Amino acid sequence: MADIKDTTAGLGASQPASTEPRVDEKGRSVVDDVNRSLYDFTKSEEGYERYADGLTPEIVRAISAKKSEPEWMLEMRLKALETYHEMEMPANWGPSIDGLDLNNISTFVSPKAKQARDWNDVPDDIKDTFERLGIPQAERESLAGVGAQYDSEIVYHNMREEVAKYGVVYTTIEDALLDPEWEPVVREYFGTLIPMLDHKFAALHYAVWSGGSFVYVPKGVTVEYPLQSYFRLNAQGAGQFEHTLIIVDEGADLHFIEGCSAPKYYDANLHAGAVELFVKDGARLRYSTIENWSKNMFNLNTKRARVASDARMEWVSGSFGSHVSYLYPTTILKGDRSTCDFTGITFAGATQDLDTGCKVVLSGADTTASVETKSISKDGGLNTFRSSIVVGRHAERARATVSCQSLMLDDISRSDTIPAMDVRCATAQVGHEATIGRISDDTILYLMSRGCSEAEARSMVVNGFANPVSKELPLEYAVEMNNLIKLEMEGAIG
Amino acid sequence: MAAEKSTPMDRAASASDALTLSHVNTPPAQTWNYLRINDVSFDVPAPSPSSTGAAFNRLPQILSKVETGLGDEAVDWVGRMADGATYVEVPAHTRREEPVLVAVDDGHPFASAGVIVREGASATICVSASATQGSPTEKGASAPTTGSALRVICERGASVEIVEIVASAAGRQHLEAIGVDCAEHASAVVRQYALGGAKVAMGLAANLAGSSAHVELTNRYVVRNADLLDVNHVVRQRGRNTTSDLSATGVLLDDATKTMRETIDLIHGAKNSRGNELECVLVCGDGVTNKTLPTILCDEEDVQGNHGATIGTISPEQLAYLACRGLSESDVEALFSRAIFDDALAHAPEATSRQAVVSRATSIFGDAFAEEAAAGPAATTDTNVER
Repeated sequence: MADIKDTTAGLGASQPASTEPRVDEKGRSVVDDVNRSLYDFTKSEEGYERYADGLTPEIVRAISAKKSEPEWMLEMRLKALETYHEMEMPANWGPSIDGLDLNNISTFVSPKAKQARDWNDVPDDIKDTFERLGIPQAERESLAGVGAQYDSEIVYHNMREEVAKYGVVYTTIEDALLDPEWEPVVREYFGTLIPMLDHKFAALHYAVWSGGSFVYVPKGVTVEYPLQSYFRLNAQGAGQFEHTLIIVDEGADLHFIEGCSAPKYYDANLHAGAVELFVKDGARLRYSTIENWSKNMFNLNTKRARVASDARMEWVSGSFGSHVSYLYPTTILKGDRSTCDFTGITFAGATQDLDTGCKVVLSGADTTASVETKSISKDGGLNTFRSSIVVGRHAERARATVSCQSLMLDDISRSDTIPAMDVRCATAQVGHEATIGRISDDTILYLMSRGCSEAEARSMVVNGFANPVSKELPLEYAVEMNNLIKLEMEGAIG
Repeated sequence: MAAEKSTPMDRAASASDALTLSHVNTPPAQTWNYLRINDVSFDVPAPSPSSTGAAFNRLPQILSKVETGLGDEAVDWVGRMADGATYVEVPAHTRREEPVLVAVDDGHPFASAGVIVREGASATICVSASATQGSPTEKGASAPTTGSALRVICERGASVEIVEIVASAAGRQHLEAIGVDCAEHASAVVRQYALGGAKVAMGLAANLAGSSAHVELTNRYVVRNADLLDVNHVVRQRGRNTTSDLSATGVLLDDATKTMRETIDLIHGAKNSRGNELECVLVCGDGVTNKTLPTILCDEEDVQGNHGATIGTISPEQLAYLACRGLSESDVEALFSRAIFDDALAHAPEATSRQAVVSRATSIFGDAFAEEAAAGPAATTDTNVER
């Protein structure tokens, strides 16, 4: 990776930091909310193609026809639509999705821009959008390839020649379906890890999916720089339903980064994407996400990985946006000696109800899973950490550890942890720990006794709290994450 | 059953109507339904339409508001099957020496009780469930079923110690509900022992309503064969400076199934409160199913909530060490199980509960346990127990 000379040259320029301590009327430090001004800009939809709101077979057929899809895909879409209408949301758990009315959501909005491989060929307003988000710059400096989706369509897709020559495929799902070499591969894997019956919004996804990436990394190939897809939902009252399918073949290695954002509207927007990841024998895949949807977004995303023998799956997840989120990346450790690491942070502020976590299924022998999550709640935000660790009957000597730490920054927010464990093998070892609380006065006292000011001490504690996630990201994204958190810790809290 | 029905349990089991209790032991916060961890269901005999005792032996209304972890549906069923309830009041600033006994067995399969411990008073309550070990049984709604419900109110500064021993037998079902309300500076120390029964549900809820109220809950269990144990603990911390300590330790053998749900609910206003949960499970059988749902719900900033769970087996290194001391793996498993029975016996506060432990242990470990128990401290004469 190229040396990074300017640590602020990443996604989103950082705001100048305040140097004066700010306290509220109770003398407590003011902890800024996530800085969204960078993302809250809109572009005109003039000239865009926008399908009618609601869900009908006609809309589904129109989406399929526009993409010139194979017949099997259309059949799958129609079956999924039928399934969606038959299924119900669970009544006994999860945040309310009142306020989301599919009759007021358009499932397809197209900027009518042809997919480009050069930013100069992208329409100016769209190009400006991604310039402001720092995507082209990041591509130049530190990425092996970029896919940029605007509303329902991929508008830019490119990969470095030196990566492509090793046989790495990074294209859109639509293009893969039209390619005789890759259509059979897509058909073999598409929808197999996340069946449409998984939950109601998985069914919706399969009915109206559009955009997303198909990645194939051949055996033994290590992609030195990350590939990134960035999803921008500009349209008001619309949904984004991208599908990401990644196959990392035996012994290969890939880091894939996913970013997303949207401007805030008063109408609801919906994100119901799907990510299916196949990590073959001896391969490694790191999947990093910085989710920064606006606070009118209902984020019901599904991500799942299946990991073969001696293979490794790493998740790095930062969730900062959405009004309501259901997000539980799932790893199935199918092969013997496969491993999974999950590191995540969720920040819930005012009006947010974020139900996030992860699931791991340990099926193979000698599998290991490590889950470390953090959450911060403030200004009435609701944070729920929800997880499940399932150890199968034949997962001999499986090992799993789960750690969840929640930080409450005021007394009007909420943080719940609901970790479930189901262990069916006598030789497995599973451990779980969780803590909820505020910044410890003893910790602050200790740091102050070592020469730190109170403000410095509290800043260290909170930055350290988020550090396990940010240190897993490439530097530019760590910068962006820290910008998103933008914690100014000076003065006393509580 | 072809034999003449002579015991209350037999009569209950042979009742023409059966009933399904669908949502027993439901926790305050549920999770994915496909995990089948949100509740347990029981097929039980329906109450007799002719029972009227409950109309005349009802508990004071205030006790009906006490939450139990078992769920209203199951508690109402126990109350109707018990056909009456026992009420005990411990006067203020007194210490009740004789334990209050709530016992069920083959002859008396259902019991419902309420206890109010007045300001500054203290008492011990023993809840005992036992059965004739080794007798043949049927399954489902025809399985011999016992149940008890206990609701306790501790007024300001009161303290209560509750020892709960479930030593039912193979083929039997048992449902047990306990609810405790603690006012300011009140405390409840609960020791639960699940030692036997084909299908057992234990639900306990503690409401720490007053400031500085405290609950300490220790749960120990041994589940073997294809038995099922389902436990639901809920602690609602409402007052300031409240504390809760929950710990569960157990052994799962053979094809046992165990579900443990523990919820600490730190409610808005419970400033400076602390809640701890800890579970340690020893898995010793190839067919074991262990489910755990340790939950912390936090609606307040100035609190501490912690939980930890460890699930595993005896490590090869430990087994090797013990083997060189002459102990086989089965010896070690027996040691761990026996330790829980010993602990139950040590804490059983009166004769009925002690006998329940001894009977169950004897059916598992043989007469040696009974002989050792008899050689222990002399049994006291219990003359004033409440039934």
